[in-house]
Amino acid sequence: MKRGLVLVGLLACSALYAQQDRQLDEVQITAHRRLKDAGVQKTVLDTAVLHQNVALSMSDILTQHSTLFIKSYGRATESTAEFRGTSPSHTQVLWNGMKINSPMLGTVDFSTIPAYFIDHANLLHGASSLTLTGGGLGGAVEMQTRPLFGQGYALQYIQGIGSFDTYDQFLRFTYGNDHWSTSTRLVYSTSDNDFKYTNYDKKVDVRDEAGNILRSYHPTERNRSGYFDDVHALQDVYYRDDHGNRFGGMLWYTHSLRGLPFLSVDYRDNVDFKNEHRQDALRSVLSWDKTFGTWNLGTRAGYVWQDIAYDYYTTRETVSTDITHSRSHSQQAYVQADADWMPTRRWLLTANLATYYNHVRSSDKSPFHIGDNYNLGRMEYNLSLSAKWRPTDRLSLSAVLCEECYKKDFVPVIPALFAEYVLYRPWGLVFKTSVARNYRYPTMDDLYFRPGGNPNLRPERGITYDGGLEGRVERERFSLSMNLSAFDSYITDWILWTPNAKGYWQPSNLRKVHNYGTEMMLSAEVRLPHAWTIGLTGNYAYTPSINKSEDLDDNDASYGKQLVYVPRHSANLSGRLTWRSWTLRYQWTHYSERFTTTSNEVSYITGRLLPYYMNDVSLEKQFQWRRVHASVKAVVGNLFDSEYVTVLSRPMAGRNFEIFLEIKPQWKRN
Amino acid sequence: MLLSAFGLAAACSNSDHGPGEESFSDTGQGVFVLCEGNFNSGNSTLSYYNPETREVENGVFQRANDRRLGDTGQSIQLHGGVAYVAMENSGIIWGLDTATFRVRGQLTTGQTEHMINPRYIHFLSDDKAYVTDLYSPYITIFNPRTFQYVGSISTRQEASFGYNSTEQMVAWGDRVFTNCWSYSNKILVIDTRRDEVCDSIVLSSWQPKSMAMDARGKLWVITDGGYSTDEDSFSDNIPHLYRIDAATLAIELDQALDTDEANVQLATNPAGTVLYVINNDVYRMDVSASHLPVRPFIEAPRGANGRRHYLYGIGVNPRNGEIYVADAVDYRQSGVVYRYAEDGTLLHQFRVGITPNSFAFK
Repeated sequence: MKRGLVLVGLLACSALYAQQDRQLDEVQITAHRRLKDAGVQKTVLDTAVLHQNVALSMSDILTQHSTLFIKSYGRATESTAEFRGTSPSHTQVLWNGMKINSPMLGTVDFSTIPAYFIDHANLLHGASSLTLTGGGLGGAVEMQTRPLFGQGYALQYIQGIGSFDTYDQFLRFTYGNDHWSTSTRLVYSTSDNDFKYTNYDKKVDVRDEAGNILRSYHPTERNRSGYFDDVHALQDVYYRDDHGNRFGGMLWYTHSLRGLPFLSVDYRDNVDFKNEHRQDALRSVLSWDKTFGTWNLGTRAGYVWQDIAYDYYTTRETVSTDITHSRSHSQQAYVQADADWMPTRRWLLTANLATYYNHVRSSDKSPFHIGDNYNLGRMEYNLSLSAKWRPTDRLSLSAVLCEECYKKDFVPVIPALFAEYVLYRPWGLVFKTSVARNYRYPTMDDLYFRPGGNPNLRPERGITYDGGLEGRVERERFSLSMNLSAFDSYITDWILWTPNAKGYWQPSNLRKVHNYGTEMMLSAEVRLPHAWTIGLTGNYAYTPSINKSEDLDDNDASYGKQLVYVPRHSANLSGRLTWRSWTLRYQWTHYSERFTTTSNEVSYITGRLLPYYMNDVSLEKQFQWRRVHASVKAVVGNLFDSEYVTVLSRPMAGRNFEIFLEIKPQWKRN
Repeated sequence: MLLSAFGLAAACSNSDHGPGEESFSDTGQGVFVLCEGNFNSGNSTLSYYNPETREVENGVFQRANDRRLGDTGQSIQLHGGVAYVAMENSGIIWGLDTATFRVRGQLTTGQTEHMINPRYIHFLSDDKAYVTDLYSPYITIFNPRTFQYVGSISTRQEASFGYNSTEQMVAWGDRVFTNCWSYSNKILVIDTRRDEVCDSIVLSSWQPKSMAMDARGKLWVITDGGYSTDEDSFSDNIPHLYRIDAATLAIELDQALDTDEANVQLATNPAGTVLYVINNDVYRMDVSASHLPVRPFIEAPRGANGRRHYLYGIGVNPRNGEIYVADAVDYRQSGVVYRYAEDGTLLHQFRVGITPNSFAFK
């Protein structure tokens, strides 16, 4: 405790977030306001944030550096992202322009995306997601890889060794001249992840011969079946000519083998259970972009192939029984064309047509169902038109119209209006506002899954109002940026899966939800004499997400209650203190209590999860020799050894350590 | 202020370990209500209701023992002052003192040879009980007094689609009947003198879900009929009600019921002369009748929107014939129990834990 407070004090005195010299050139800073972003509420995650630790996935980055709520129960377990108290399927996710939400579930598992594979990410909140695609009732996450033209050869290898037999390896080779850029990245992460924890959900009674209890204690147990073995490979190649053409190709392969941890209330020590999730995925995108005169043109084509297997079975003696045996195979083809035309400096017109074909073959075996769930294909279209107008230097207006179609069903036209006004130029103080209607059409599981799928489902409908302020002050030794927004959103016909009396689940357009609240970001950076740099970035979100559905029946007490597992408050602080070649980072993350019942009951212990506080710290030292640059970094996760769960009956790891060694050979540039 | 808040928050604990062990002492004739919770959430709970005072205590297992009941509570039976609770997805059977709710003992999978997911317990004597299983092709035998494993009974059945489950148990003389629910249409007959399966009954409908024995030695069985959707089915999704002579194993009555999507359950009155059936609503029939009445005895309550409540479990108090019916609401909040007089008059209703499914009467 004492040590903790000393560290906190140290950090408090030196609130951080600076860029080191080597990172400054990687940071993308937008110096002027783009008409394309008029009225848009956007959080930018730059390379410095994304590449701070090879062991982090995108779910960790979003937890630590955004206002999104990430529902996860540990490293390498399914992690989904929710904007503003909506559901994970209300978050649209694009990788290099291609939507990668599962056609079956509509969600993305961010734990399977290494942050080192992403060079730049934009989080588009609420209505702003419509500038990318429809269906993001909560928002959208846009992830990109970026070329490194003209930077010559570079090789980087990072080896991480951590607690619980955890090994993280990262290798990257890049080459870039004036025309070509190529990057090859490999990540291999493996761990037993068998951390010890005190199991407060169990208690061991020590009895005498007469059966009287002599003493009782909560046992220390290990996390069982939490292992993971993930391989990721990413190849990207870019070529640009002297006529404004840029061609790109990206290929990303993932092989993931993960055990699903046992519940803290599982007593089957001796039974041989396999509870395992395997995933193989190949994602590829080809792109062509051209800039000439007042035009920007682009086309993209992509293909995704994915195999997912989930096995939950038990073996005793020679008998093996499937509790769940699930297989799904999906393919996605994607073609997109977009055009931006800026006839004058005050007008920007854009058009975007994206077409997806998804095919899913899914089957399962359980006590409730055996056989094919479905084996179907579906076309999906998205057409988006926008007009952006800057009538004065201070005022910008934007209108977006979006039309989506799935199979033969059209969702109603999606309109969105955006406006922004520059209030005070020296501080870059801008007022932004937007209003949008949005629809999310049902996923293929929602419609076709057998048993339970409901072909009569309607698209979910949302309407969102946003307003906020953004500002940035830059001085020689000081910079400060802030973003403050408020939103009000209503979603009706929310698709909810509920169990029926037969034991399987069925979706219906049951729910009506009112989401409202605020999101804030504040970032400060101070460059002090003697090579000291300190900074701090904080995010805070207040997100009541209230069920306004008609009561199921007289006993339904869920009306007016916060949605299950959605925190009302979430916050994070990330800081960095640098001095010469030393960097100290501190990360603090908080979620308020989350309810586990629709009626928000707290009368029994499983009714809620207590507020979550997490502290991580790292210290890095860099070495720069003539032929090689290197760094050593030590990371302490869960600094104060908190005992906690983020999902019922899923204990999390206590204090843990990992050491990283980074080597970057240096070549002479041509 | 911000700094001190940060420091405080940094040092805060994220965990909630509860208030420790609470003392209970209830020697009255109360009712245990087992709430199965949500699968894979570990939030099953046990409630205790006093019919005289109409007071209910929820979560009594956790409160009395400072530990969780487990995941997916399947059934509860009382014997010799002990409440035995089968926690299916935790692989444990708890034995609780019915007055103090304190743990007397437990049987875990590790103590047995074949138990995996225990479902129901049937007591043959103070020293011998059977345990059925969702996944194991064996019925486990244990001593309920000492919680010692005794042995097991092979079901001797070929697996159907890989499953070989056994469910509820009822006794007639030296025979115990158990229904095979998962992808099966069989009732197994166990010779309790030799602890082995000696016979079986094949039904015309699939997935026998619940059983009851009446006073005349007639075994009543209800199936759920499998599942059926437009493009996918296992059987026809039509529940059937059977009456079987426990001595001859002859099927005397086979009635197809006219609704589906129901959680079918059976119970009898204390005298064994009246059969109660949950099939969306609660039906009542004399065991000598030739068919289930068309009109329900107790209609499932309906909300203002006309939507019928989800009835999920039924129990009959052997002391006075009062009928307890469980309402799961939306399966994600505390359920409701309705207590009816033997003539169907609603006496009381009260909130319990998530998804109440079974009752045990002291």
